[in-house]
Amino acid sequence: MNRKSSDTPIEKTTLIGKRVRKPDAPDKATGKTRYINDMVLPQMLIGKILHAGRPHAEIVSIDVSAAEKLPGVHCVLTGKDAEGLRFGFVRDNVALKNRVRCEHDEIAAVAAETEEIADRAMALITVEYRDLPGVFTPEDGREKDAPQIHDDFPDNKSLHFEFRHGDLAAAEAASEIIVDNVFRVHHVTHCCMGTSCAIADFDSNGKLTIWSQTQYPYNYKMDLAPALGMHPGDIRVMQPPVGGAFGSKLDVYPYEPIAALLAKKTGRPVKVMFSREEEFRSSPTRQPAVIHMRTGCTRNGTLTFRSADVLLDNGAYTSWGPTIPVVMMRTTTGHYRVPVVHFNAQAIYTNNPYAGSFRGYGNVQTTYATAQQMDMLAEQLDMDPIDFHLKNAQQSGETTPQQAFLRECALDECLRTAAQASDYSAKHRRYTLAREQQGRYKKGIGLASSIHNAGGAKIHKSDGCGTILKVDDYARVTVITGASEIGQGIDAVINLIVAEELGIPLEHVTIVNDDSDIAPWDVGVHASRTTFIAGNGARRAAVKARQQILNAAARMTEIAAQDLDLRGGFVVREDCGTKVIKLEKLLRRMHFQPEPELVMVTDYYEPNSEPEGADHRSDHSAAYSHAVHVAEITVDTHTGEIRVDRITSAQDVGRVINRMGLEGQIEGGIAIGLGYALSEEMQLEKGMLKNPCFRDYKVLTAPEMPELDLHFIESNCAEGPYGAKGASELPTIVIAPAIANAVYNATGIRFFNPPLTPEKVARAIWDRQQTETGPSADR
Amino acid sequence: MKQLISIEINGEVHELAVAPQDSLLHVLREELGLIGTKKGCDTGGCGCCTVQIDGRAVYSCMTYAMSVQGKPVVTIEGITENGQLDPLQQAFIDAGAVQCGYCTCGTIMAARELLATVPDPDESQIRHAIAGNLCRCTGYQKIVDAIKLAAANSA
Amino acid sequence: MSDVQNYLSPHRLDDAVKAMAGGDTTVLCGGTDLSPQTDSGLREYAGTLMNIRRIEGLSGIDLIDGQIRIGALVTVTGIGNSQLLDELAPVLVEAADQFASDQIRNAASLGGNICNASPAGDMIIPLLVLDAVVELSSWRQGTVHTRQVSLDEFFTAPGKTVRQENELLTAVIFDQPAESFVAHFRKSGPRPALEIATVSVGIGGRLENGSLSGVRVAMGAVAPTPLRARSVEATLEGKTLDAETIRAAAVDAGEQATPIDDVRASAWYRRHLVCVFTEEVLNDVLEN
Repeated sequence: MNRKSSDTPIEKTTLIGKRVRKPDAPDKATGKTRYINDMVLPQMLIGKILHAGRPHAEIVSIDVSAAEKLPGVHCVLTGKDAEGLRFGFVRDNVALKNRVRCEHDEIAAVAAETEEIADRAMALITVEYRDLPGVFTPEDGREKDAPQIHDDFPDNKSLHFEFRHGDLAAAEAASEIIVDNVFRVHHVTHCCMGTSCAIADFDSNGKLTIWSQTQYPYNYKMDLAPALGMHPGDIRVMQPPVGGAFGSKLDVYPYEPIAALLAKKTGRPVKVMFSREEEFRSSPTRQPAVIHMRTGCTRNGTLTFRSADVLLDNGAYTSWGPTIPVVMMRTTTGHYRVPVVHFNAQAIYTNNPYAGSFRGYGNVQTTYATAQQMDMLAEQLDMDPIDFHLKNAQQSGETTPQQAFLRECALDECLRTAAQASDYSAKHRRYTLAREQQGRYKKGIGLASSIHNAGGAKIHKSDGCGTILKVDDYARVTVITGASEIGQGIDAVINLIVAEELGIPLEHVTIVNDDSDIAPWDVGVHASRTTFIAGNGARRAAVKARQQILNAAARMTEIAAQDLDLRGGFVVREDCGTKVIKLEKLLRRMHFQPEPELVMVTDYYEPNSEPEGADHRSDHSAAYSHAVHVAEITVDTHTGEIRVDRITSAQDVGRVINRMGLEGQIEGGIAIGLGYALSEEMQLEKGMLKNPCFRDYKVLTAPEMPELDLHFIESNCAEGPYGAKGASELPTIVIAPAIANAVYNATGIRFFNPPLTPEKVARAIWDRQQTETGPSADR
Repeated sequence: MKQLISIEINGEVHELAVAPQDSLLHVLREELGLIGTKKGCDTGGCGCCTVQIDGRAVYSCMTYAMSVQGKPVVTIEGITENGQLDPLQQAFIDAGAVQCGYCTCGTIMAARELLATVPDPDESQIRHAIAGNLCRCTGYQKIVDAIKLAAANSA
Repeated sequence: MSDVQNYLSPHRLDDAVKAMAGGDTTVLCGGTDLSPQTDSGLREYAGTLMNIRRIEGLSGIDLIDGQIRIGALVTVTGIGNSQLLDELAPVLVEAADQFASDQIRNAASLGGNICNASPAGDMIIPLLVLDAVVELSSWRQGTVHTRQVSLDEFFTAPGKTVRQENELLTAVIFDQPAESFVAHFRKSGPRPALEIATVSVGIGGRLENGSLSGVRVAMGAVAPTPLRARSVEATLEGKTLDAETIRAAAVDAGEQATPIDDVRASAWYRRHLVCVFTEEVLNDVLEN
């Protein structure tokens, strides 16, 4: 390097809002990444689980003696080995069961030298069942004489939630228009491309190391411990790369303690990994619900009240699914300015598979109802839906009935942006008129919006994240964060933030977040919180390190710290960018001096939100955000097929941090939401899954995806890192009602029960023809 | 009843004891440790296990290992030459097509056949070429962008 | 769980059919049906697994003396890419293009798709429209014996055919269609790559002056076997393809279908689609 170029001043630039690639992408694109599914440990045994394959039964007898005798089998466990080891949100679950409450209930488990031996052993286990009458809908579960699923949960009642604000009767009386509908949202599942997997190993001190796909490693210890009769402190959680999570790894599921119980019994590491069919049958679902919603407004289009009476199909056990009312009520009370709100939700045990959390967490279900009722009200008012939405849209500074304070609210701008970019109003009018005309193919346009927490959600005692940051003698930075990477890209966000603050190349940052013995506490990847919370944590830690470095530089150079900056691996003068000292040289000087100092800082970031609280009146997130989607579709009225032509999305993201990662989250979120709206459905017949494969459970493929037009609204959140808000759930939340509204625009038919499959749409259109024209002779 | 066979993978010939019903996927992963070929469903429904045989993309979970004797198999590990990534690998990284990454290798292998036969594919050709590869993370947009980028970079 | 004792990969047809003479042989070609069926326990392996992919002479697509002969080992990709078929029997290319994903098309063989005998078999419907016969080979009295069976009479039940255990399907043969022959194929599903047809319809015939003759109508996934709908053929035969005839044919097609309710669709929807597709395919034929 010649002297001239080394003297060149370094200009101030920023990475915020740029397109940054994921640091793990090269290994993932070359096949080097060792996912948990790929892991093999020396001496490792393979664990397999015998599922009940019936929805409700007593176990009369179980004989595992033949399986135990098979060469290569190391142990066989049954319900008696897990007796009393209750776990779960309400302690209603055990790893291995003495009674069957749903199809996938775990009855026995085998650890063997190979998968093939384990499979053979499974076939040698004989179980005699006495089948019991089952409960397969929450309505049936509520009946007086319904079969009881858990002895200690009378009337099959699981969780209950209620929120009341204002005088409902008075508000109804004051309403000139009321819409009143029942929406039934269905069972879907996550379909992570990497199937569920856990590897457990005990050391000689009795400490458990579990390699897990979990997305909440610290509470995971707390939740796993009772299933094993252990102290949470004796569990170390390792998090190798995972093939997707989407909320499915926010709880402990029986295969995980089973892996640990097998490992304990055999003294060997044990790996349990689901087949795809097992994954469909035995992993969590999105919470299904029956939502009876009423919304009222005055003739001039002002919302007067909203009420929701929700019945949840709890399934056989209580995971996170039945807790979704805490989010459902936030939408019921916060989706547009609603002065009077009543919300009531009851979860009822059934013999169906049970729900966990799934991207959108209750808001997907509620918004399907609220956003369609907004559309219905606008029609009854004979008002352009956009005008109706704008009239009732909250503004910055408003507080919802649940005391969510909307500091920076950009709903207005989201609505205007999406409507303008899609030419919504003109098309909506045009397609409404065209509906009455002849023609096989009908176009429709539909708009939907929602609100979601975007600065964490304080449903635990803490919503914080710990960060440890060290800078070594070569100016390489290691960030040890509690935040988990599940493919969503927090690695790239933290990478970008730290490089931004310390003025170093992106490649010089290493992130460590895969070992609970090393990384500090974090509540988990959920609630669209990680960029906000862990991003803030990383920034605060980096700023501390930066300050330490600049102070040291100031001492050595006698230039005031505030006149210095870090750019391109150098300490430079803030005003002109002139290089003062190479950063790594400075770091070595700091280290190897009479009073040595190392740069290593810690930070614990706890957002300024309030705990959810029993009365559900709190500012439970540090930020709230809105998204608006406009869906343009074409309906083939003969086959019922819906082609989605284009989605226009406008979302308040606060501020773009990593543009590429953000786009990826919005696009992926839309795809999951479209699957929910159009094609994905777990077809359950008396608790038994009929379509446990990708041929019959229809995840969208590339040719089915529409053109996407994404607009990011930057409201600059005061509390968020650089102004950013959380973003990843809203795209999944808003899309299904946008599709349903578009289908109504195209056909004049409302669909209350997703998914809008070709058959369902064709049938509805045909049924309407029959009532309009009378039964025709030909079919 | 295992038999000794020799198969050529990524230009290297391997002698292996294989049972007639063993899938190529099983042999790649369990016998050779080539874990870049992923097991997503093992029933030809997801595309994670896509490899190329004689230049054509196939699901290795449905391919009998015995049947590939004498037919060159290429896996994701075999398309990086002298440390130089395949243009598709580079494009997937640069375009943000990788999130969880579990589908990535299989999708690259499917796209590879497309670019070999259609160097400048249009959007619809790209989407149909990867229609047998499921992705749950990206909504496919960045994958399509990556394949376009790779085509442009190879031109 | 039965273990395969023996693996064969003959290069010559006579070796293959000799090996099949004693029964107890599972034939492997693309493996795209065999592999999932054996994994799920739907099918068991016989003692010998025989890969027929390397048999010479069964991979061609040829026009011989006015007949088109497609070797059983030709892949669906091979059909989709065939210039000859694109010119002489484009309905096969049309169906091949809608067949599963690239990966499956690259592996799946025509013979396998036929012998799998799915009521929804995608290649079967257009071959019924082309009035194809299948050639079955076996080892008899020291030589390769062949017989031909009309595809129309080949299927007996879901997964079942008249093929004997010692017979190998070696080719599919049909007369070169007349110049005026027009045929089209339509299959349901917006998700072509991974969809098993809910319903498919193929119709062909000689189109002269707006009317069809020598009509053949075939429907998939509406009956226990792929179905030739002869009464629909009669409805169309010789008639001017006007809206009324098309409508009548569609209604009749719906009546001929005897579909079931299953996880993929209800019987009602399948019947409904048969009517819609019949109308659609006839309009495609007319517009050809």
